[in-house]
Amino acid sequence: MLRYIIRRLLYLIPVLLGVSFIIFVLFNLVSGDPTAVLLGKNATARQMADLRDQLGLSKPLIEQYFDVVRSAFTFNFGYSWSTKQEISQMIIQGAYPSMCLTVPAFIIATVFSLLISLVVAFYRGKGIDLFIRITCIAGVSVSALAYILFFQYFFAYKLGWFEISGFEYGFPDFVPFIALPAIIFILLSLGPDVRFFRTIILDEIYQDYVRTARAKGLSEITILLKHVLRNALIPVITYVIIQIPSLILGALLLENFFSIPGLGGMTLNALNSSDFPVIKAMAILSSVLYILLSLLTDVLYTLADPRVKLK
Amino acid sequence: MKSLVLLISTLLLVSGCSKQNSFDEREINLISPQKVSGFDPINSSDRYSGNETGKVYEGLFEFHPLKRPYELMPNLAESLPTISADGLTYLFKIRKGVLFHDSPAFPDGVGRELRANDIVYSIKRLADPKLNAKGWWLLDDKIVGLNEWKNKNSAEEKTNYSEEVEGLKSLDDYTVQMKLKKPYPQFLYALAMPYTFIVPIEAVEHFGKEFLNYPVGTGAFLLPKFEQSSMITYLRNPKFREKFYPSEGEVGDDKLGLLADAGKKIPLVDKINVHIVVESQPKWLSFLKAKDDLLEVKDVNIQQSINSDKTLKDEHKEKGVRLILKPMLDVTFYAFNHEDPIFKNKKLRQAMNLAFDRASYNKLFHENTAFEAQGPIPPGLGGQTREFKNPYVKFDLEQAKKLMVEAGYPGGKGLPVIVVQTTSETISRQQVEYFEKCMDKIGINIDLGMNTWPQLVNKVSNKQHQMYTMAWGADYPDAENFLGLLYCPNQSPGSNGANYCNPDFDALYKQATVMQDSSERTDLYEKLNEMGATDAPWIFGFHRTDIYLAQAWLKNFKHMEFNHSQFQYLNVDLEVKKQLIKKF
Repeated sequence: MLRYIIRRLLYLIPVLLGVSFIIFVLFNLVSGDPTAVLLGKNATARQMADLRDQLGLSKPLIEQYFDVVRSAFTFNFGYSWSTKQEISQMIIQGAYPSMCLTVPAFIIATVFSLLISLVVAFYRGKGIDLFIRITCIAGVSVSALAYILFFQYFFAYKLGWFEISGFEYGFPDFVPFIALPAIIFILLSLGPDVRFFRTIILDEIYQDYVRTARAKGLSEITILLKHVLRNALIPVITYVIIQIPSLILGALLLENFFSIPGLGGMTLNALNSSDFPVIKAMAILSSVLYILLSLLTDVLYTLADPRVKLK
Repeated sequence: MKSLVLLISTLLLVSGCSKQNSFDEREINLISPQKVSGFDPINSSDRYSGNETGKVYEGLFEFHPLKRPYELMPNLAESLPTISADGLTYLFKIRKGVLFHDSPAFPDGVGRELRANDIVYSIKRLADPKLNAKGWWLLDDKIVGLNEWKNKNSAEEKTNYSEEVEGLKSLDDYTVQMKLKKPYPQFLYALAMPYTFIVPIEAVEHFGKEFLNYPVGTGAFLLPKFEQSSMITYLRNPKFREKFYPSEGEVGDDKLGLLADAGKKIPLVDKINVHIVVESQPKWLSFLKAKDDLLEVKDVNIQQSINSDKTLKDEHKEKGVRLILKPMLDVTFYAFNHEDPIFKNKKLRQAMNLAFDRASYNKLFHENTAFEAQGPIPPGLGGQTREFKNPYVKFDLEQAKKLMVEAGYPGGKGLPVIVVQTTSETISRQQVEYFEKCMDKIGINIDLGMNTWPQLVNKVSNKQHQMYTMAWGADYPDAENFLGLLYCPNQSPGSNGANYCNPDFDALYKQATVMQDSSERTDLYEKLNEMGATDAPWIFGFHRTDIYLAQAWLKNFKHMEFNHSQFQYLNVDLEVKKQLIKKF
């Protein structure tokens, strides 16, 4: 397994090279000259040229590409072009509020979705199954924005149960601020998660081994929790872990509406101000996270199903 | 499901409901609608970053908080400068006893006295080629020797601040001399803008690249460290000099209670909390919940604030909320790219102006609060006269169709599809869709070009557009700032994104911009305004209105376009707040 892990970690090298290349091409070919945006409405041609020099945009393209590669491998992303802040500090500062919101909400949403899915699988074809399926479809049919606008208006403003917006650092100070967006996050996740998990569990329920278990006289609950759930875990793990990078990168809409100073808002600001170093840092971090988490997924497979061997 | 209910109950319990309003501290709560990117004055390029910088830093001058038309008053300068007969040499006396905030940048952490050298250093910093300041345009080619100093240092590894600049000298600890290359009538305005606010060299050197996070100014409020958060808290500067609330204002200010604090030492509050709230709904709800004391009303919230006759809605009146409606010094427009041969056709440009139904647009997007722009200069600035009516700023489809025939495009025949570039925000898209509908009536096909902000700026900077829509807000109260948008040498990537060139206009502009404020200059501005208006270089849009709602307990707030220094004059009436808060 160790050799497998090392080999997978080595995959990071070509992936980072590829990601650096894509980011570099996109930035140079699609987004154009950032200096006009960075210098504001009174930019002069001379000043733009000076800034291009200063940002290293006048260097040969190959050199610029190597700069991107260097930062991808050293994780030294330098300073933001628009805010002039140190990017690593910006990411640390932004990751905390983002994760305060998304991590607990994500864990709760996943656990609830799995439990609900088991219940509907248990009662498959019955009234409760139909009711939850319809509720899930209705839930995902409504835009996330509508939930946010309604919940913020009703629960925070009308009932005054929560803060309308804002964030404070440190536990438990942040709880009043993240409570409502976390609830919305959970509700938004329940619909698609329950539908997905239910399908996986039902796929398992019709397998031969379940019939055998029933023939042996095992109770439905035991079959569901001991056999079906365990076998369904592999796609569940894949589905869950694949979402983790997006948790760290923040829930943009929720962050914006609840004034949570997270990474989602930071990335959006960077896109709106042609702040290439920040965009680059976020893209590289996402790729690295993605690879590390897919490796974690593989390792977890072996725990979930001992038949899986990593070679 | 039980667990879900349990979870929600727990969250509610821990959240302990929302926080209550404070009555113990003399604090005010404000909103910034955009993230603050740092506190370096030389990069405070927009109104909102200027507002934050202005709480901790100060300039030589500031705009009088009450007097209108806008009037400059000395701030860090002791008085208005002595100006030589040729209008080129300015002598500034610096106020004595002004202290920088305490900071680890100073020996023993104690802020030292402001000296003339700090003014020289701060202006040089604006010109530092290594810093590429957003505000450099303000002094570009203005001060004798400063451009040369900048150019020389751009080749050096480190900027040499000790090298003297001929037009920028401290004569003693409290006297600064500045020499201009040519008359620059807006010079003192430049010295009241956040770009030229004064910073101490010790702080810049001590904090290095982190300087923007550790503001050390001379202002009425302190912010020891800035961190990206959802709230910035400024505390009263206990060592702030003896500075007093003005005892004079505009006619009517007394009645509005704006002179109640006349003669009192400022700042009048202990704390300012600035909440960073980007979206409209949370801003609106926080104000309705009295979490914030002042709200700049935009877009969807206009209808919820005011009636069709522009009066405050009863539900807000009952809570003592005040409505402040004041025209902005801005102009919105649909600019043609004059380098596109199609738009060299003046009759086509005039026809498009006539086909734009501004009245319905105003109702639809501004709740009738905006004013139709007759030319580039907004009302309130010299050069814009109420009498002047642009013959092409009216909705007249018949005349527009006639002009289309004269332009050689009867019913729009022969005219290609015209792409109007805008940003991808919903409101911008809707506005161009409305414009598209108007132009369709004279047979012109408009296509919508949606862009992110950087894409739009790039297209305009590189002249890769046929038309684009934008707004321009005043940097200072002088019509030159608007007329420059039509001055040929300012074409892309400069502020003349329409790339409009009219030699007659340019000649007159050059003549007017070196003249000091006088009736002769106002006459020239009027001529330029009319010339720019009737030649239809843009499709003129509107001069918009600023709409503010202020809680009854917020005192001394008066609409101010250049409000960087205004916050030190604000006050809060805690008694009124205690009484009224029950209604929220």
